[in-house]
Amino acid sequence: MGDDATLCVSALDGFAAAGRHGRRTGDPGVIVSEVRDVGLATTTARSGQQPALIERARAAFGVELPAAPRRVEGRDIAFVWSGPDQWLACRCPAPATGMEAHLATAFAGCASIVDQSHARTILRATGPRIRDALAKGLAIDLHPRAFTSGHAAVTAVSHIGVYIWQIDDLPTYELCVPRGYAQSFWHWLAASAAEFGLEFVDARGPRAGSLQIESLRLDRDVG
Amino acid sequence: MTNQPSSPRRRGSTTPGDSDAAICVDSRLRGNDVANISQPHRLTSGGLIDRASSLTFSFDGRSYRGHAGDTLASALLANGVRLVGRSFKYHRPRGILTAGPEEPNALVELRAGARREPNTRATTAELYDGLAATSQNRWPSLRFDLLAVNSLIAPVLSAGFYYKTFMWPASFWEKVYEPLIRRAAGLGRASGQADPDIYEKAFLHCDVLVVGGGPAGLMAALAAGRTGARVVLCDEDFRLGGRLIADDRVVANRGSAEWVGGIEAELAALSNVRILSRTTVVGVYDGGTYSALERVNDHVAEPPEHEPRQRLWRIFAKRCILAAGAIERPLVFGDNDRPGVMLAGAVRTYLNRYAVAPGRRAVVFGTGDEATQTIADMARAGIEVQAVVDPRARVPNRIEAAAKAAGARLFGGGAVLRAHGTMSVQAVDIKTASGETATIDCDLVCVSGGWSPTVHLTSHLGGRPVWDETIAAFVPGALPKGMTVAGAAGGRLALAQALETGARGGLDAAADCGFSGQPVELPNVDRESTAMTPLWRVRGSRGKAFVDYQNDVRDEDVALAGHEGFRAVEHLKRYTTLGMASDQGKTSNLNGLALMAEFTAKTIPQTGTTTFRPPFSPVAIGAIAGLHRGKAFRPTRLPPSHRWAQEQGAVFVEAGHWLRAQWFPKRGETDWLASVSREVTTVRSSVGVCDVSTLGKIDLQGSDAAELLNRLYTNTWTTLGVGRARYGLMLREDGFVLDDGTTSRLAADRFIVTTTTANAAKVLQHMEFCHQWLWPELDVQFVSVSEQWAQFSVAGPRSREVLRRIVDPEHDITNSAFPYLAAGELTIMGGIRARLFRISYSGELAYEVAVPAGHGEALIRRIMEAGREFGIAPYGTEALGVMRIEKGHVAGNEINGQTTARDLGLGKMMSTRKDYVGRVMAQRAGLVAADRPALVGLKPVDRSEQLRAGAHFIAEGAEPVARNDQGHMTSVAFSPALGHWIGLGLLAGGPSRHGERVRAYDPVRGGDVLVEVCDVVFYDAAGERLRG
Repeated sequence: MGDDATLCVSALDGFAAAGRHGRRTGDPGVIVSEVRDVGLATTTARSGQQPALIERARAAFGVELPAAPRRVEGRDIAFVWSGPDQWLACRCPAPATGMEAHLATAFAGCASIVDQSHARTILRATGPRIRDALAKGLAIDLHPRAFTSGHAAVTAVSHIGVYIWQIDDLPTYELCVPRGYAQSFWHWLAASAAEFGLEFVDARGPRAGSLQIESLRLDRDVG
Repeated sequence: MTNQPSSPRRRGSTTPGDSDAAICVDSRLRGNDVANISQPHRLTSGGLIDRASSLTFSFDGRSYRGHAGDTLASALLANGVRLVGRSFKYHRPRGILTAGPEEPNALVELRAGARREPNTRATTAELYDGLAATSQNRWPSLRFDLLAVNSLIAPVLSAGFYYKTFMWPASFWEKVYEPLIRRAAGLGRASGQADPDIYEKAFLHCDVLVVGGGPAGLMAALAAGRTGARVVLCDEDFRLGGRLIADDRVVANRGSAEWVGGIEAELAALSNVRILSRTTVVGVYDGGTYSALERVNDHVAEPPEHEPRQRLWRIFAKRCILAAGAIERPLVFGDNDRPGVMLAGAVRTYLNRYAVAPGRRAVVFGTGDEATQTIADMARAGIEVQAVVDPRARVPNRIEAAAKAAGARLFGGGAVLRAHGTMSVQAVDIKTASGETATIDCDLVCVSGGWSPTVHLTSHLGGRPVWDETIAAFVPGALPKGMTVAGAAGGRLALAQALETGARGGLDAAADCGFSGQPVELPNVDRESTAMTPLWRVRGSRGKAFVDYQNDVRDEDVALAGHEGFRAVEHLKRYTTLGMASDQGKTSNLNGLALMAEFTAKTIPQTGTTTFRPPFSPVAIGAIAGLHRGKAFRPTRLPPSHRWAQEQGAVFVEAGHWLRAQWFPKRGETDWLASVSREVTTVRSSVGVCDVSTLGKIDLQGSDAAELLNRLYTNTWTTLGVGRARYGLMLREDGFVLDDGTTSRLAADRFIVTTTTANAAKVLQHMEFCHQWLWPELDVQFVSVSEQWAQFSVAGPRSREVLRRIVDPEHDITNSAFPYLAAGELTIMGGIRARLFRISYSGELAYEVAVPAGHGEALIRRIMEAGREFGIAPYGTEALGVMRIEKGHVAGNEINGQTTARDLGLGKMMSTRKDYVGRVMAQRAGLVAADRPALVGLKPVDRSEQLRAGAHFIAEGAEPVARNDQGHMTSVAFSPALGHWIGLGLLAGGPSRHGERVRAYDPVRGGDVLVEVCDVVFYDAAGERLRG
């Protein structure tokens, strides 16, 4: 196998610098890291195979594939609803065999699986002002009465298609955008969070991002 | 509000000017307060200003002082400045009419340099330290304005003047008349520089949106907020309260301003209530969508770093309560525009909220009982009320008593005929009930013609206001879905009614959203009477009687429009300009309608109203653009090699959202054609590489995948073997070509469809439509993988050698093992999963190699490294274009939505053994006519001549007119291989005319070149090179 880590570059490498962006004083209002080395695959039920696919997912990964815009976590994998009979499978770190091979055994014959691991840039975003920053581009309602952990949406920001899902109640969101638009998306996010102060946490390695965000979290009370 | 530190602009002198517009100082107004010495009209006590703060500001270069909590208007009045601008048409001296956003006169330029902002209403501009404002529409100075001569020629400047005068000759309009008119009549100047501030847009969701923070709005927000519903309260002002802080009322046994403070504190403590101050709801749209402009940092000299100047909200609300209040109307009498003529409600606002006396000796001219408040407030502030003019025949006792208490003469059944004075009102002529004229000295005329509910937002979706006789005004008619109206906006002008309708509206709106609560207890309020009788104009008045101040429309103009037949309200508006411009006639519309009704002997409801459209008040273009400025106007999409291409010094071109390398100039190359020709020559003689990741890529799977392709493409796919690629052509349903590209079969049930860069989304949409609506029974699944794969074209006779150094050794890519149109999955660079396609756009031996996008940058670097010994050249879209023209391949210039497969010489790709989208419609007689323009090659007869795309074909000797048009040149290129320009074009008769000569006529750029019609393939006609 090729050395994935050294050959693979993020669309934000050399563009989005780690550290503080926008307001420099006080705690950052928005904390962002890139979710790297993630395996993604569009999983679409073959004609008439949706019940079988749901059954196989239950058996293989312990998840109930949702019929609405939700994200469900199973054993070492998560599925995000992305359309009728279609889910985006997410696994971090990406399986060495590639996502198509990884899912082939479980879903053979009942789903078309298409590797999208490099097609998306995923940013994990949290912080006390994250909702205010996202409200500058997302038309959807992220208020906890309307959108909570496990909820997902396919929407648009600044003319860029984006998947968003919430992974905890802090709240923390993951924003998944087409790779080619990653820099424009970053430009929008950094501009929108500038007045609150944005901390971009360097997330080389599969867990670094989340660990650093955890440690930042301890410093403040983000109810 | 904090007191800002003094700015450097605050120079030595802060004493007020001796401008004769300033009024004498009365000791009762000023007292002995030394701090007020610079503000002679500031009352010694009261008001909602921070007297501890002292802000320095300038107007027309002169320095003044004010307090935090002031507007520019209140601070100017406190300093005795009442001449603030010149009118639009006649350049009449104008003062401050109102205390709010409806102001038609007091428009100033605020700030300087790139932040200069014309037509800012002094009545809403919040004072800050260092504020610099300039008057507009005057030259050389505000006091001495040469164009005031316009006033003398007023008879010819009447309604429709421009239409009548500047009609002929037509050619003069653009070059002479319009610039002249604009210079003479313009208001304010834009800075002409890029705005240095940030503007942004944001979205907000709520259950209940409350528009307006006056008595009705506060009660609505409180009632809804207490239920737990998500409430957003938007108030245009920087301080909540509306009339409650402008009038001195008693609510719950307290001063009304104090009561507001208590409500505001409770609202602020509710986590489900969001208060947006300085925020104007400017538009209502379908589905409970509202737009609102928040002036986040208009009240400071410069926004703090990283903060926006303004924010345009799009608010989604399940319910909306319109509590926008009402706007007071002026009265139409002679020279009613003199500085010092002010709306009575505004006078009370300046007295009570800003502790400013706008004059010293006042005349009250009002049509309703509310005059008692005005009289009482002025008397308490020490203003001498000289006269009270009430046009009603029977003056109520309360007016009589108020006038008496203030020591004022009462003119019951009288009217003000004319105001005297130029730069400031000095006296008024009053017509008494008995028909005599009395002249009363005064420097302030408080006028009130009644209140018009602010119905604008109820009309944005088409609702028509309806006439309410009791208040002599229009009230909301049919309401936008989800909206209710409370308080004065609904014609409930009394405070008690406002509180009551607001509280009820808030509770009902919350209930509609599923939240219930207890009714809010209504506070007791002091007594008032809102009775009035309208007076639309003073008959027999002398001088110019203005109906619309901002547009200088007089009663005579309305009459003239009526005489000339412009009687419909929309015609009246356009002919006289009444109700146009930045205030949109907020103070003038109803007076204008009433006059038109009178002149045409109709009732006001018969006359009707003009349509109110968004925005309610002016919105800066910057706020509408938000962050989408400059390059961020739309997003940029970058291919995987972008960073590398930047390092190479590539020149980029936009292709849709994509940014693609156009060519790669080498050191010393300054001419693009030299770079492009070198790139082409390098490919044709050795090898080159080009990022083609931008092409659309669709992964298609399922047991019916080949069948779907058969139905989408004109050619056959069921026969394509696994591991093979084929060129395909797709038609629209109407028979015209939609797109082309190669599709490869990776497995029996898996294909990779490629599209052109431009049509990637359109083709996917077309496929989705066909699958979902036409053939849902097909077992197919497809998804875009355009972003997943970095794909490079490696082209040229040495391309296989380059690939050999990159593809892992276990894969055989010799010509026999991997021939032309082979496609397959393999590994490269030591185990990276990749796809290889032997397809050629350049006509050379060529491959396209694809890897997951994250490896794209590594791959391009490896290809360049591997190709170094062959002199590999990266090439851009220009060289790509040259080579495809040399090969006669069609692209977007030819697949332009108006061409058929036959037109493009691809008729043989239209299968006759199967059905496909567009097959039947492509056979329409007009589409198969022999004389349709069809694709041909073209070269200049004189080989040294340059060709230009867009040139039209004309027969030799024919007159170059449209009826002789025979088609046009679609694409041109300089062919380095042939050493001359070549072109592709759509020519009537097409290939049957090979060998003929036609003119390529290009009148736009002065081109007229004789060209020879030839085959479309200019290079390697036998197609041997790509199979090598």
